[in-house]
Amino acid sequence: MNLPADTILSMALLSILFSFGSSRLPGLIKVLAFQGVVVCIVPLFLDQEMSTGGIVFTIATLAIRGFIIPGCIYLAIKKVAIGREVEPIVGFHASMLVGLLLIVGASFASHRFDIPSSSISVLLLPTAISLLGAGMFLLMARRNAIAMVLGYIMMENGIYLVGTTFSVRARHIVEFGILLDVLAGVMIMAVILQNIKQTFDDVDTARLRTLKE
Amino acid sequence: MNESVILWAFALLTAPFFAGVIFKVKAFFGGRKGSPVLINYYTLFKLFKKGSVYSTSTTFIFKIGPVVSLGATATILLFLPIAGHTPVISFNGDVIFILYLFGLARFFTIAAAMDTASPFEGMGAAREAYFPIICEAAMFMILILFYRLTGDLSFSAYFAGAQPFGFWQTGGPTMFFVIIAFFIILLTENARVPVDDPATHLELTMIHEVMVLDHSGPDLGFIEMGAFLKLFFYASIVSRMILPFELGHPLLNLALFSIGVLIVYVAVGVVESVTARYRMDRVPKFVLTSFALAFFATVITLELLK
Repeated sequence: MNLPADTILSMALLSILFSFGSSRLPGLIKVLAFQGVVVCIVPLFLDQEMSTGGIVFTIATLAIRGFIIPGCIYLAIKKVAIGREVEPIVGFHASMLVGLLLIVGASFASHRFDIPSSSISVLLLPTAISLLGAGMFLLMARRNAIAMVLGYIMMENGIYLVGTTFSVRARHIVEFGILLDVLAGVMIMAVILQNIKQTFDDVDTARLRTLKE
Repeated sequence: MNESVILWAFALLTAPFFAGVIFKVKAFFGGRKGSPVLINYYTLFKLFKKGSVYSTSTTFIFKIGPVVSLGATATILLFLPIAGHTPVISFNGDVIFILYLFGLARFFTIAAAMDTASPFEGMGAAREAYFPIICEAAMFMILILFYRLTGDLSFSAYFAGAQPFGFWQTGGPTMFFVIIAFFIILLTENARVPVDDPATHLELTMIHEVMVLDHSGPDLGFIEMGAFLKLFFYASIVSRMILPFELGHPLLNLALFSIGVLIVYVAVGVVESVTARYRMDRVPKFVLTSFALAFFATVITLELLK
């Protein structure tokens, strides 16, 4: 049992519950930024020896994941004057219950995997799986487009942790590849959001159904 | 055994004093001097000197309600390991018994409130019956966690001697979540601020206060005393969790325990001073937070124990 890493990972799990319970976009963004920071510092507590390059990489990912991406989204909702409600399809209490069940399911599923990382930290794989599931749930259960982008970022946090679990050596290269994808993805989404906003005066994705040739 | 009885008497005697601390803290935040710390003793004496007034529409239920609730709460304290000392009575499974004693006390308070046939009191009774249901779920979740950690079902196994420290060793950081969950239960069960305002004067917004509007004199004194004891019960459990140390000497333990209880009461006072009470429909969400935290802590701890 690795106490510091498990404490940090339980913070990440808790942030899932908070993100499911928050009804306003600024709050959701803050939770996601917190989650990004928490997820990024996990490798510092896993590796026994850490090279200077590794630390620099970790700090760079932390800056992008914890500050630049959330900051960009925050500026975007400020500028485009997007509605602050996340407009849930599934209510907040039900979402909370889903989050709890997700954590239970993830910890159950993680026992089926036989990987060496469980000797480093017990919570690593369960957290990774629940982050993936939680991001997927946010994508499905919220109609506001920004909330969907945030769900995508949460999934990416999960992928990062899965990467940490499976590959200990080549992690930084993989991670930087993913981060570049995410950054490009978020920018494309921002452009699309701008277009949706100009056409409909709203970013409610349900309205896209009215588009016809 | 003797020491246990003395500690029980200590709890009965000091519970009103600790409740007075909350008034002092609130007065400090309000920039006032505030009532003396012993105000609750004066109130109790004043109430016991008076006579009771009974409405002609009430039955004997109204009269036995306060006595039963005070009796149940005083009995509960017999099972509580005060200052880490073994309690007066203890058997395997007493945690369930205690929860149902609380249920008994609540049932008679509700029945007495319904007996007056006042619509306001019926409304308060409905709320009093609703919110603790969610609390009970959270409480049982915490008990499941403690059972998993100790393999025992009695309060003396959880909080006597050096045991709370064992929770910290095995549970680690998840104990923080348990403490927060328990503090939310404390606020809800004792009708403190984010859920209910004990100082409000508007019947529509009250929960606990509205149910006791028709009680007077000694009956009201019993109810107040029961409320002090109930708050003391929850506060002492939180106190044992935040200061889980065993100092070796009974008096030192008692001093440490009193400091812990004092911290909890001051925390309650601070919460009451800096937050407003929630709208009624927001309260279930607040209480559900405690359930979610307890559930979460249980899942994580089970994972860590593997």
